[in-house]
Amino acid sequence: MGKMIKYMILGILNVAFLWVALFLLSSQAYFVFVLLLLGALLANLVFLAPKGYPYRYLLPAAFFMVVMVVYPIVYTVYISVTNYGTGNILHKEQVIAQLEDRYVLEPDAEDYAFQAYRDDRGDLWLLFTDSRGERLLGYRGQLTSLQEQDPLLEQLADFAELTRVDLVRATNELSGQSFAYDHTHELRMRNINSFSVYLQQYSYDRENDALIESETGTIYTPVGGYFQDPDGTRLTPGFRAVVGINNFRRLFGNPQITGPFVRVFIWTIQWALLSVATTFVVGLFLAILLNDPYLRLRKVYRSLLILPYAIPAFISALIWRGLFNTELGVINQILQATIGSSVPWLQDPLWAKVALVILNLWLGFPYMMIICLGALQSIGAEMYEAAVVDGASSWQQFRHITVPLLMVSVAPLLVSSFAFNFNNFSVIYLLTRGRPPIVGAQTPAGHTDILISYTYRLAFESGRGIDYGLASSVTLVIFLITGAITFFNFRFTGALEDVNKNV
Amino acid sequence: MKRIATIFFLLVLVMSLSLPTMASVPGELLIWSDGERAPVLAGVAKEFVIEYGITVRIQELPFGDIRDNLAIVAPTGEGPDIIVGAHDWLGQLITDGLIEPIELADESAFLQSGLDAFTWGGKYYGIPYAIEAIGLIYNKDLAGDEGPETFEELIELGKELREEGKYALVMPQPDPYHTFPFFSILGGYVFGLDADGVLDPLDVGLANDGAVEGFEFFEYLLDERILARATPYDTMMSLFQNGNAAGMITGPWAFGDVRSAGINYGFKQIPSYQGQYGRPFLGAQGFMVSSFSENKMLANLFLNEFVATKDTMLAIYEGDPRPTAFLPAADIINEDPDMRGVMESAAEGIPMPAIPAMNAVWTAWSDALELVINEQSAPRPAIENAVQLIIQTIKDSGY
Repeated sequence: MGKMIKYMILGILNVAFLWVALFLLSSQAYFVFVLLLLGALLANLVFLAPKGYPYRYLLPAAFFMVVMVVYPIVYTVYISVTNYGTGNILHKEQVIAQLEDRYVLEPDAEDYAFQAYRDDRGDLWLLFTDSRGERLLGYRGQLTSLQEQDPLLEQLADFAELTRVDLVRATNELSGQSFAYDHTHELRMRNINSFSVYLQQYSYDRENDALIESETGTIYTPVGGYFQDPDGTRLTPGFRAVVGINNFRRLFGNPQITGPFVRVFIWTIQWALLSVATTFVVGLFLAILLNDPYLRLRKVYRSLLILPYAIPAFISALIWRGLFNTELGVINQILQATIGSSVPWLQDPLWAKVALVILNLWLGFPYMMIICLGALQSIGAEMYEAAVVDGASSWQQFRHITVPLLMVSVAPLLVSSFAFNFNNFSVIYLLTRGRPPIVGAQTPAGHTDILISYTYRLAFESGRGIDYGLASSVTLVIFLITGAITFFNFRFTGALEDVNKNV
Repeated sequence: MKRIATIFFLLVLVMSLSLPTMASVPGELLIWSDGERAPVLAGVAKEFVIEYGITVRIQELPFGDIRDNLAIVAPTGEGPDIIVGAHDWLGQLITDGLIEPIELADESAFLQSGLDAFTWGGKYYGIPYAIEAIGLIYNKDLAGDEGPETFEELIELGKELREEGKYALVMPQPDPYHTFPFFSILGGYVFGLDADGVLDPLDVGLANDGAVEGFEFFEYLLDERILARATPYDTMMSLFQNGNAAGMITGPWAFGDVRSAGINYGFKQIPSYQGQYGRPFLGAQGFMVSSFSENKMLANLFLNEFVATKDTMLAIYEGDPRPTAFLPAADIINEDPDMRGVMESAAEGIPMPAIPAMNAVWTAWSDALELVINEQSAPRPAIENAVQLIIQTIKDSGY
């Protein structure tokens, strides 16, 4: 019974794989197809081979890791060496197909009215009439001139003539029809009422990988994502192409880009450190207060102080944005009423940073408070009793007992909080959107941009429109930096080792 | 456990694949429309089915998402046949190879400026249904029934109002689109025309003498507290809704909010300064055909015969009142005083450049505005630096 179910599941799984595989093949996603094939093969092996038994539990995890972690990284690396972005979003084949499908209407070409007939085999016969009453018969791509009383006309009378409704319903079939008019021109559908004489603008020469303009004979060759003639005139649209280290050269070779990048990087570090430091200090302070057994209504205070954590950060951030509003914000109105001056919260680089730290303090202190509360409660009371007996002051108790024991369990969380704030896109984007701008920056960069928001703005708000290529290369640089920081962090704090020892 | 996991995995797979894939399929039309136009198009679609037996499906997307989603989805063959959109998307959509020229059955039925907005390289890329331009929405209780005709009047008004803590003028900041009239009022422009009458991306006129003088005038209004400083759109709107501002520079999309606040308002073109009117950007909205449509000819037919009709255009207007670009419907629509005001403002308008180089303009320009609004830079160096960056970016991108 169990075996039957097992094979049934495997069968269903394989059918599903097959289905997805066909779907991927038809949409030409070959890379994902190969991945899927490997996955399917592995799944079958693990199920059928007795030795594969332990891997049954490992395989799904590995699968999702490949799909959600490894594949995006590989893809980002690939994009960073391409010109993928506005103007270069299509694949080369799509661009060739599109350019080959461009037809120019001959300037003084005549419009041909037409009637359509369908013979018994379902083939279309088209009877064209020009303004002088000359008639042409089109069938299977060939045109025949008709005489006054042509026998072919009688033949047409036997076929079913298409009514207007039929014509509309057959629009796709009709617009696919093309008749050789002379050796360069074609008769093609112009609209539902007429056909006209067109010239195919470009034709693709597969052997030389070049597009040839029919009228002038100009040859366009693919250069850096565009078809380009010898003078450097480009055809739009361009296509995705590998451009090597161009994006990295743009990133590091241009002081108007590197300048902001360095400033953004420095602020990112400051921001992450400040966020962790402020939230931790306030959280710890409150935790110590709340940990005092003589405090009345502890539970009430605790519940109230956790509230900022319970409200979605998006809502809080937007409310704070309103509070910080220079013109109408409550904070400035209070300042105006009490000290008689107001602060340009979101306009001045320094104050914008202060506003961000305040907001993040509000959002982050309950988390720190909760973890500190937990950690404090795990410190045994006998330690403090012993300290009191030895005559230690409260500061000495705090300094020599609370802090070291607290750090054992809290330090790894501080490291992870640092990493989180390093990439805390939503707070930055919701409050300041990285503004105010840095003077003279060539890429969209602001004083409060951190690396991740800078990348986002590069990708979606840059001067080129969308610039995935450059954004991916910045992402890789960020990846290396955060990787290194995290590595050293763990190395020097020894955070992970302590966790293993003590928990 | 394993079995549950497998079944769950299968379910997810099946569900993700069996979602109705909305894609352009031969013989059926798929339209991406925003919420305002979707019900009207759904009605037209019914007529089309009755007439020809061809299904037209409408997929509703937020207006601003249509362009970005098209770029992602269309090349994979999952996109629509027809989209609703704004004319300033043209540059990006055409350089990306995402939309096709349209053959208009009757050009004379459209307002010329609407057609111009959708023209690219001598071809039409859209069928316009509405045009729009910003102007001055004024509070009749503060600015009088006629509203200020000149900035000189507005300044006088502002000097009285600021005593009460009110403003003569509010506008979204920093916002190049809304601030452009200050640049154009004394002769600034975004792109100049070359000898062939085509926009020249390397001739940026935002830092010429007229533009700088206009920008300095903008700064003067801020410094004198005639114009409220650093107000984002929503702050601007609440100042106006609460009766704390006499005038507001924005477009017809604000009428609803103003009306709901019970303000007795009027709409007129942007006041004149030194005898010249501030010229706003002219915008147009319309229908475009995707390059990846399997039914281009059918889409053209649908747009020409079923959308470009008086009934449809009036229905579009009823759903979302904007001045129409379709002349047979114009007489009825222009009876509305708001619409007439927008039309007058639009008559002074300059079509917003739709060339891709425009992408390079917005960010740098917006940053220059922000620096001046935040009092971190004088207008001239800010905008001169911005123009230098714009030209640099345009050269680097090879537009």
